[in-house]
Amino acid sequence: MNTFIAILGLLSALLFFYLLRFKASKKQTDRTNRPKWSKYIPYRDEEKKSKSNDADFSDN
Amino acid sequence: MSKHQALDTFGRSGNPIIRSSAFQEKTTSGERMSLEGAVNKTGILLFLTVLSAALSWNFQGPLMSLVSMLGVFTGVVAAVSTFGFYFFFVGWIINPRPHLAPKTGPIYAVGMGFMIGIISQQAEAMFPGIVIQAVSLTFFVAASLLFAYKTGIIRPTQNFVLMIFAATLGIFLTYFSSFIFSLFTGSSFSIFTDTGWMGIGISLFVVAIAALNLVLDFDIIEQADEQGAPKFMEWFGAMALVATLIWLYIEILRLLMKLRSR
Repeated sequence: MNTFIAILGLLSALLFFYLLRFKASKKQTDRTNRPKWSKYIPYRDEEKKSKSNDADFSDN
Repeated sequence: MSKHQALDTFGRSGNPIIRSSAFQEKTTSGERMSLEGAVNKTGILLFLTVLSAALSWNFQGPLMSLVSMLGVFTGVVAAVSTFGFYFFFVGWIINPRPHLAPKTGPIYAVGMGFMIGIISQQAEAMFPGIVIQAVSLTFFVAASLLFAYKTGIIRPTQNFVLMIFAATLGIFLTYFSSFIFSLFTGSSFSIFTDTGWMGIGISLFVVAIAALNLVLDFDIIEQADEQGAPKFMEWFGAMALVATLIWLYIEILRLLMKLRSR
């Protein structure tokens, strides 16, 4: 019984890492009611902060 | 920012709020995250977790107990400093800082691994074969939900996020209250230790909420990749995924222990 469960677990782990590499279907991504994660996780702000340390040359 | 750059970024309006799509546009400068990178980082973090779990499983003793306690403490600090801490009606008490994830992710994985090793070893001593069942079920649930997410069978919405977030926060507050209660009385809330149908029902509910948290992690990784998020989001997504997998594993282990002790 435990051997069967172990094989099931191993196959599930392999399937998990295999599926994780693929992009989700259009049915998942092309919809208007998706949660906007960038509202909660401020990764854009952090990026701006790190960019603001760079020299800024205007073209005027 | 030059005038031309500003027009390219914000459009004619100049106000990013008016043109909300500006937020979601891909930026081309700097290193961008990829799904492949997030998968590799998830693998690295899981490897670190298993490695430290194997250490604490094989070398049990007072020193390892101390190392595990320190590991859990640093793991919790790493998680809170990266994911932040939100409370109902108050807002963010500690703001999330995803850029810390490349450093806090491995610390979290190693720290929690020590705790998992000790818990698993004790569970295995009481119920032989239970750990392999819990690990297998964890990956089975994760793979099934990932398939459902990728194919669009489960589609998280704003309401879904709020519901899962509220349930998760409620569970953690109950765990925290139980922990404080146990400091004074020496025993935790009976609903968590009860092996009757009530206790099993509560465990099943917690397993379901932990599993649905995986869907949110998948969506965070997918959306960050679509929007060309910075490279550190690979670590953030991987850390979130590993944190949920660890939680799911512990809850499945607890459920199986309750079922087998009946």
